[in-house]
Amino acid sequence: MNNLLKEFQHAELQRQTRRHFLKECGFGLGAIGLGSLLGSCGTSGSETAAPALPDDPMAVRMPQFAPKAKRVIYIHMAGAPSQLELFDYKPELEKYHGKDCPAEFLEGKKFAFIQGVPKMLGPQGKFAQHGQSGAWISNYLPYLQSVADEITFVKGMYTDQFNHAPAQLLMHTGSPRLGRPSLGAWSVYGLGSENQNLPGFIVLASGGKQPDAGKSVWGSGFLPSVYQGVQCRTGGDPVLYVSDPSGMNRDIRKSTIEAINEINRQTYEEVQDPEILTRISQYEMAFRMQMSVPEVMDVSQEPQYILDMYGVKPGDGTFAMNCLLARKLVENGVRFVQLFDWGWDTHGTSASGAIEIGLHDKCRESDQAVAGLLKDLKMRGLLDETLVVWGGEFGRTPMQENRNGQVLPFMGRDHHLDAFTIWMAGGGVKKGFSFGETDELGYYAVKDKTHVHDLQATILHLMGFDHEEFTYPFQGRNFRLTDVAGKVIKPVLA
Amino acid sequence: MASISDFTFFMLSIFLLQVSDWALFFGRFHPVLVHLPIGFLLLAALLAIGKRFGKVSIGNATISLILLVSAISATIACGAGYLLSLGGGYDEEILDEHMWQGIGVAAFAWVAWAVQSDFIHKKLPVSRVVYLPALGLATILTMVAGHHGGSLTHGEGYLTAYTPEPFRGLAGMEPRREEITEIKPIANVQEAVVYQDIVQPMLSIHCTQCHNATKKKGDLRMDSFEYLIKGGENGPIFVAGKSEESEMLKRCLLPLEDDDHMPPKGKPQLSDNQLALLAWWIDQGAPIDKKVADLKADDKIKPALASLSEAPADSKAGGSQSTESPVLSLKVPEPDEKALASLKSLNLLVNPVASEQNFLEVSAVNAPEFSDSKVAVLTPLAEQIIWLKLGDTKITDAALSEIAKLKNLNKLHLEYTGVTDAGLKNLEELPYLEYLNLVGTKVTDAGLQGVANMKTIRNVFVWKTAVTDAGIAQLRQARPDLNVVTGLDEAAVAAFLQAGKGDSSQVAAKVKK
Repeated sequence: MNNLLKEFQHAELQRQTRRHFLKECGFGLGAIGLGSLLGSCGTSGSETAAPALPDDPMAVRMPQFAPKAKRVIYIHMAGAPSQLELFDYKPELEKYHGKDCPAEFLEGKKFAFIQGVPKMLGPQGKFAQHGQSGAWISNYLPYLQSVADEITFVKGMYTDQFNHAPAQLLMHTGSPRLGRPSLGAWSVYGLGSENQNLPGFIVLASGGKQPDAGKSVWGSGFLPSVYQGVQCRTGGDPVLYVSDPSGMNRDIRKSTIEAINEINRQTYEEVQDPEILTRISQYEMAFRMQMSVPEVMDVSQEPQYILDMYGVKPGDGTFAMNCLLARKLVENGVRFVQLFDWGWDTHGTSASGAIEIGLHDKCRESDQAVAGLLKDLKMRGLLDETLVVWGGEFGRTPMQENRNGQVLPFMGRDHHLDAFTIWMAGGGVKKGFSFGETDELGYYAVKDKTHVHDLQATILHLMGFDHEEFTYPFQGRNFRLTDVAGKVIKPVLA
Repeated sequence: MASISDFTFFMLSIFLLQVSDWALFFGRFHPVLVHLPIGFLLLAALLAIGKRFGKVSIGNATISLILLVSAISATIACGAGYLLSLGGGYDEEILDEHMWQGIGVAAFAWVAWAVQSDFIHKKLPVSRVVYLPALGLATILTMVAGHHGGSLTHGEGYLTAYTPEPFRGLAGMEPRREEITEIKPIANVQEAVVYQDIVQPMLSIHCTQCHNATKKKGDLRMDSFEYLIKGGENGPIFVAGKSEESEMLKRCLLPLEDDDHMPPKGKPQLSDNQLALLAWWIDQGAPIDKKVADLKADDKIKPALASLSEAPADSKAGGSQSTESPVLSLKVPEPDEKALASLKSLNLLVNPVASEQNFLEVSAVNAPEFSDSKVAVLTPLAEQIIWLKLGDTKITDAALSEIAKLKNLNKLHLEYTGVTDAGLKNLEELPYLEYLNLVGTKVTDAGLQGVANMKTIRNVFVWKTAVTDAGIAQLRQARPDLNVVTGLDEAAVAAFLQAGKGDSSQVAAKVKK
């Protein structure tokens, strides 16, 4: 009898293959993952019992307080525009133009390219004050001058990274390394998506290149991948392969997707992997996007004077077009629109990278559209609840770049992490305000210094989230966008 | 007994030798200690009355003990009070009275105790005669001294400041002055008198609570220009033309933790803009009658000046909370689940506005077919819905009478719908409506004038409507606080493009060089 029992146990154990083990584990782990996903839904928890199946990952989670900015348009000028030519007026720097950089600026410092003792480079833009608020804006951005009173400038920005990719990652994900969710992903995770036919987070890139940090700057990191940014093309099909293949009509397409989703749903019930939910919702979204995306991305219905205001021709795929599309997207309830424009890295090694030529051209290409976007949002009553952020990933040095100790053919500035300017307008920030100052030569932020994490904390605050409470559990600890730092810049809040 | 007096005297002499932290440390216990003699003496008086009328049977020994502790605690309170007064900042006159009244309390308490005690009574039988007068005087003086003490701490007139009518009139008091608690936006900053319109309102909110006619902390009054110039016990508080050497500004700029920081920690603080304005006024010579336009405004002060024309954003602590709509401080019950479900079945998006509140945002962004016949589904959630987006739907005026029942409505989007002037009338009574989007509707000037009746409205959007410039001008006249946003037409866009181009040619010319 005893032997029989042993034999039975043995057989039972033999039957347990590795596959069984993994499957059980998968179920267990999936359940843990799901549990944590649900647990993070409500901040106060218990009052509502966890729903059985979070069939809509795009449902809104609870903002901790009433949001001022319900949508964001984040305009990232990739490569980092020079604050000293555009907003941070330093008449003192003009006096030092062409003189050797003081030694205390160089001691213990590392630059991307500057070597030895560089010369100081005076501001190249012609500065004047604009609007009631007296904002300093140079003649590189003549159109922006007309909307100066809508804007809050943050002039004491600083960062930790002096190379493009890590600095861009820091700016958008709160960490210079890969693997963290981006600001847009956090926003959609927190506030959900409004328009059921459009992704909550859309990315539009211009300038001929992708950002140096690649698609990770709009990635979802450890958040379920349903929250990552969806990049749309601005010429041709907005989303590739979203239209039906020839010979397949929409009904067949629909039943195909329904069948696939049914199988996916069964798999989800079996293994509880939240990524399956992502897949299901993406299939459904893609199907709906077949109709909605071409419609929202079509600017041919816009009156000519609106196109003129942005300075676009239909289908030209420029940054200006992206600004117009950004307006159309937020108008249609897209939560987060991320614009990237490449080509602001002005080292002075070539004409296109020269302050007096390349930077000037980039300003001319983008200035009218940005000002037009603010005006357009305002008159539609959208600017009140839409936050527009404009900025690069770091600043530029008050010194002229001297790559390899040589005199460069054009005027250029190296990467600089101790001072740069970003600006914000709309949803919950002050109008016609300037926060923070740099020293007389624009080298260090000296008053009201604002770290990248402070900026992120502020943006989350405007969207209704306490950046310290807004977390996602991953690998055993709660993560947040601002990691362990950042404080809300209260003075810029309206 | 003698030993206790000796001890008190000994302690006092130590403190007097070093008027220092120790003195103030013990001094600040005065407000705590004074309540002991007050209680004991009232108790003694009560018992004495009770005994007189035969209602209370109590032994002399008990009363004697109560009187003894009254006298001791009154003496200690006097000592602490004296030490506290060394810190200064009190009205000399009231302080003097208060001191002698306090000493009187202690003295009469000792007398009452002494004559009550068997020892003295045996030696001097007549002494009992003074017992009741002494106790009575001590009790009355307690009350008077207590009142003066209150006046010293809280300022004269504190007790009766809120006397309601008709007693106020009967007592011959002046009508109550409205306290300034908020700086009103200045319509035309350039024409504002710097001292009167900018500096004094600031001081009235942040300084004069402690530096006024009745409560002159540091012997300083800040409630009028003359007193401001006069300064306090340490001399003038500002040097005209030199803000950096001005005590008033230095105090404000000290770290909040510093004992000398002003306004004291816990009180509302001056904002950066206010400090900049104060410094600017002093630097410009602290004139009493100059207007903003008369003074030299450098670049740094312009944002601060510009902030004066806005509603105060950071006059309250926390900054962000001040522009918060009052509706958000309401408490409403949880929304009805069935009502929520019926909204969702119409494809309306229903989002909670924030946790720990039951307010809802409802949006028809996914329901372009939403129409008048369906609008009644919103009514069961009348309390909860504060943000409503019905832009680009098929609703008309008929819907607005139903929408007017959403009494907590704060933001309302009606852009590109069929609403007209007639429908807008329904919205005039909404008590919290701040945002109204009428872009692309048939609203005319007549309807816009109705908007002026909406008391809480702050932003109204009228681009692509039948509203004319004259209509907008009229509304702005009627409601200068209201932000009427119209949009650009073709001519305005052309002007915008021209303005930008003019400047660009200069840059281009510079580049060619």
